[in-house]
Amino acid sequence: MRRPDAKVVLLGGASVGKTSLLRRYTERRFPDSVSTVGGAFYLKPWRSLHLSLWDTAGREQFHGLGSMYCRGAAAVILTYDVTHPQSLVELEDRFLGLTDSASKDCLFAIVGNKVDLMEQGREGNGGPHACPRSREVLREDAVALYKKILRYRMLDEKDMPPAEQMCFETSAKTGYNVDLLFETVFDMVVPMVLQHKAEEPVETVDITSQKPPKHTRSGCCT
Amino acid sequence: MMSIKAFTLVSAVERELLMGDKERVNIECVECCGRNLYVGTSDGFVYHFLLEEKPLPTGTAAFTATRQLHRHLGFRKPVSELRAASALDRLLVLCDSCISLVGMRSLEPVPSGARIKGASTFALNENPVGGDPFCVEVCILSVKRRTIQVFLVYEDRVQIVKEVSTPEQPLAVAVDGHFLCLALSTQYIILNYSTGLSQDLFPYCSEEKRPIVKRIGRQEFLLAGPGGLGMFATVAGISQRAPVHWSENVIGAAVCFPYVLALDSEFITVHSMLDQQQKQTLPFREGHILQDFEGRVIVATSKGVYILVPLPLEKQIQDLLASRRVEEALVLAKGARRNIPKEKFQVMYRRILQQAGFIQFAQLQFLEAKELFRSGQLDVRELISLHPFLLPTSSSFTRSHPPLHEYADLNQLTQGDQEKMAKCKRFLMSYLSEVRSTEVANGYKEDIDTALLKLYAEADHDSLLDLLVTENFCLLTDSVAWLEKHRKYFALGLLYHYNNQDATAVQLWVNIVNGDIQDSTRADLYEYIVDFLACCSDQQLVWAYADWVLQRSEEVGVQVFTKRPLDEQQNIFNPDDVISCLKKYPRALARYLEHLVVDRNVQKEEYHTHLAVLYLEEVLRQRAASGGADPTATETQTKLRRLLQKSDLYRVHFLIERIQGAGLPVERAILHGKLGEHEQALRVLVHELGDTAAAEDYCLWSSEGQDTPCRQHLFHTLLAMYLQAGPAAPTLTVAAVDLLNRHATDFDAAQVLQLLPGSWSVQLLSPFLTGAMRGTVHARRTAQVALGLARSENLLYAADKMKLRGSAIWLSDQKLCQLCQHPFSEPAFVRYPNGGLVHPHCAANRQKAPSSPSPGSRT
Ligand SMILES: Nc1nc2c(ncn2[C@@H]2O[C@H](COP(=O)(O)OP(=O)(O)OP(=O)(O)O)[C@@H](O)[C@H]2O)c(=O)[nH]1
Ligand SMILES: [Mg+2]
Repeated sequence: MRRPDAKVVLLGGASVGKTSLLRRYTERRFPDSVSTVGGAFYLKPWRSLHLSLWDTAGREQFHGLGSMYCRGAAAVILTYDVTHPQSLVELEDRFLGLTDSASKDCLFAIVGNKVDLMEQGREGNGGPHACPRSREVLREDAVALYKKILRYRMLDEKDMPPAEQMCFETSAKTGYNVDLLFETVFDMVVPMVLQHKAEEPVETVDITSQKPPKHTRSGCCT
Repeated sequence: MMSIKAFTLVSAVERELLMGDKERVNIECVECCGRNLYVGTSDGFVYHFLLEEKPLPTGTAAFTATRQLHRHLGFRKPVSELRAASALDRLLVLCDSCISLVGMRSLEPVPSGARIKGASTFALNENPVGGDPFCVEVCILSVKRRTIQVFLVYEDRVQIVKEVSTPEQPLAVAVDGHFLCLALSTQYIILNYSTGLSQDLFPYCSEEKRPIVKRIGRQEFLLAGPGGLGMFATVAGISQRAPVHWSENVIGAAVCFPYVLALDSEFITVHSMLDQQQKQTLPFREGHILQDFEGRVIVATSKGVYILVPLPLEKQIQDLLASRRVEEALVLAKGARRNIPKEKFQVMYRRILQQAGFIQFAQLQFLEAKELFRSGQLDVRELISLHPFLLPTSSSFTRSHPPLHEYADLNQLTQGDQEKMAKCKRFLMSYLSEVRSTEVANGYKEDIDTALLKLYAEADHDSLLDLLVTENFCLLTDSVAWLEKHRKYFALGLLYHYNNQDATAVQLWVNIVNGDIQDSTRADLYEYIVDFLACCSDQQLVWAYADWVLQRSEEVGVQVFTKRPLDEQQNIFNPDDVISCLKKYPRALARYLEHLVVDRNVQKEEYHTHLAVLYLEEVLRQRAASGGADPTATETQTKLRRLLQKSDLYRVHFLIERIQGAGLPVERAILHGKLGEHEQALRVLVHELGDTAAAEDYCLWSSEGQDTPCRQHLFHTLLAMYLQAGPAAPTLTVAAVDLLNRHATDFDAAQVLQLLPGSWSVQLLSPFLTGAMRGTVHARRTAQVALGLARSENLLYAADKMKLRGSAIWLSDQKLCQLCQHPFSEPAFVRYPNGGLVHPHCAANRQKAPSSPSPGSRT
């Protein structure tokens, strides 16, 4: 088994659709899912890298595990349910703190899932699954949260991808924006990982790589 | 949840063997090291057993334990932990907060009395950083609050190397390198005892449940997490595997690759680390110890010790395959890669892929099956052999043993369901056609192609023909029988042809056309046979079927002779043989002669005459049939005329005789013309046929390629004929005028003027006169130009001559004859065109003696 080069973690409250998003992306389908216990992960080859995608459990009971899952993460995808305003509030109150253990330059994406329900609500024919709390979460709220996160992490907005690019509205049910979400994040993670690799002192000799080892000191003759 | 049998539970030490009838004594701890099994009891005893393992054919094993020494350690307290340090031949015994060292066999405390005091629990470092082989690193949780100590333990002494304090009271510990994995009272942490740095893992509640901290391999631990999770964490504080889901009240955990085992009050559960799924549940009551020792998993109640014997991985994989759990089997097999030598693994893994392929195949999951067969490098004959009768009888193939699947054949696999059977066959067809040209086919191309042929034939598939007309390795005898059985006679013919048995092939096809056998593959089979024979280089064969093809259709049949490939034509068939063969088939014969005369341009009188006669006969026949003279020329008649006009080879007299009185004036005129009897020819046309246009035409074509006088002669003859008739025949007069006006330049105008009656007006003849005039003027001018050019040419030559003669020649005493090298004594000399001067006699001599050197060469 190959060791993953970077970690991408999905965080968010119970039932916002983290598992469904991952399954839609990796299996191209929308099966019935049960509430995740503990966590699960997928290995995803992406360009030259292997990324591990962690699906965490949103239930309060497993909240304590989040910090460990986030440790060293290259990207965190904060997920809320557009039909549940509370799920966006929770991102800030409960989940943001878990990302303290993530990589210093960790990327953030904020994802409002289940937009298919919102559209139904608009047309006024909410199905049996339509949320009773029909007030939608506005995209601006997500953008505001994104900016707040950058401040919390003490990152300069100029150095980070713009909020407009990192706030998504998706539907795991229809597949809307799901590929876009993951692929945008992955594509941003790749250069980060490559840069980290270049900066890291070579601790172990990787006999599988073709590259000659880098000289850390210059030799006597140049 | 689907289960798998990964472990069997067998008894190791019976209660009687341990403590007989001492009711209140319990097992507190166990240790196993190689064949040595130690048991610590609540009444302060350590028991030593030797384990004897007897493998059983079912893949499990039976154990018998023989009791060795047992010793009381002198405390009134229970023995709470035991650890063997085999390198030191010491057993570490924790009893009453004190770790004593005793001999592994003797169970005697070391004479030095070395011991570690004040330990509530301890762990051995199985991955120590220091390389000293004569000591082991022991980490203890001290009875002192929030203190951990690290000791080095030697054969008969102990040495403390580190003491660290923790933020909360530690409850359990495991060690790897410098890293301690600790369960504190509210959370798990990783602590580097060398640097003192710590890393939080995750919180839990020690009041609700007992923590579990278990090293499972290099730098990785297994911890009991919230909600009954078994969490994995590395020394870096991250999780590289998804958690396994246990019950809430797990007491102990162990690892035996690729499984994680957990014990609760009622069950032992087995989860796979590869896919996190629960794989097995064994009921086990009152268990309180579950531990693994170098791969051996031991579970104990307070009264007895049991061993969980893992089934060999291969057996587990086979069990999974047997219950069609392909995905899991493959995950397990892949996971075993590290634990099995490469060569052995590859053989095993390939076989598993193949087996998995057959399982998918049996479920009609063909895409998956194909991929598995491909990556498992399946011998395709395994697949072919599932289909009854597909492998050639001569094939040396036998199915691999043990078998890759349980099916005798497709009938059994599909349980006779025809639709499924057809799907399987379609898959096989596409699979074989894909692999037949790849290296997978090497070594058994015959088997593959023959099988493919059989499938195509059976399914009435178009590709059957494609297979047979391109390179293939179909075995003849097998294929013949199969094609006959399925009445694919046309294809059978192709097969014979491919095997150089053209005669058999053609006979078969002829039988189809004759209706002796039925095969509707080709509606145009007759034409196909003709084409085939036309290209067939076997003369014998063509002769053999010539009559047959001609009898069906003379026009088409003759193509076996006329449509032969160009390069071969000259040598293979003698035209005379063909002609004599075609005697019975006049239309075929005509077609063949046409082919010789027109297409191949053979210059032989016989063929030309013969063809002309045949045309003539046909024309006469047609006339007789249509009952009289049909004014419009039939196709044959046109052909006849063309032949008579174009060819100079046929026997004219012979034909004139045949044509006499047949009422074919045009043809007769042509024949007269061929004999040079133009007047007669024209008379026929003008007087008999009364067709002045034909007469005019005659003048044109029969003077084609001849000089002007000849043409003029013809036109004059015709004109004379028109004029002769005089005013009595006004049509001819008109014809005469038209002739003159249309062909002004083909007449000698002066001569014509003599002939014309004086009564004709100039107006009438103006086109002729203008034309003639223009012609004459043109001729004169052309002549003048030619004359001028000739004159100027003449002048040029004259000028050249003058130049050559122009300069004077000085003759003196100094000038020598170029031939004899003597001076000139007289004024007479000879000069060569290059300027050389010689004596006249020398020149004369030289002409007589050609060997003398030429003066020209001596300059
Ligand atoms: N209509 C709609 N329903 C969705 C969508 N995504 C998820 N769901 C439903 O929401 C419920 C919860 O989805 P999960 O994917 O299990 O949610 P989760 O975030 O993984 O939840 P936890 O594992 O408990 O943290 C399921 O019933 C899904 O079918 C979506 O895009 N549209
Ligand atoms: Mg989930």
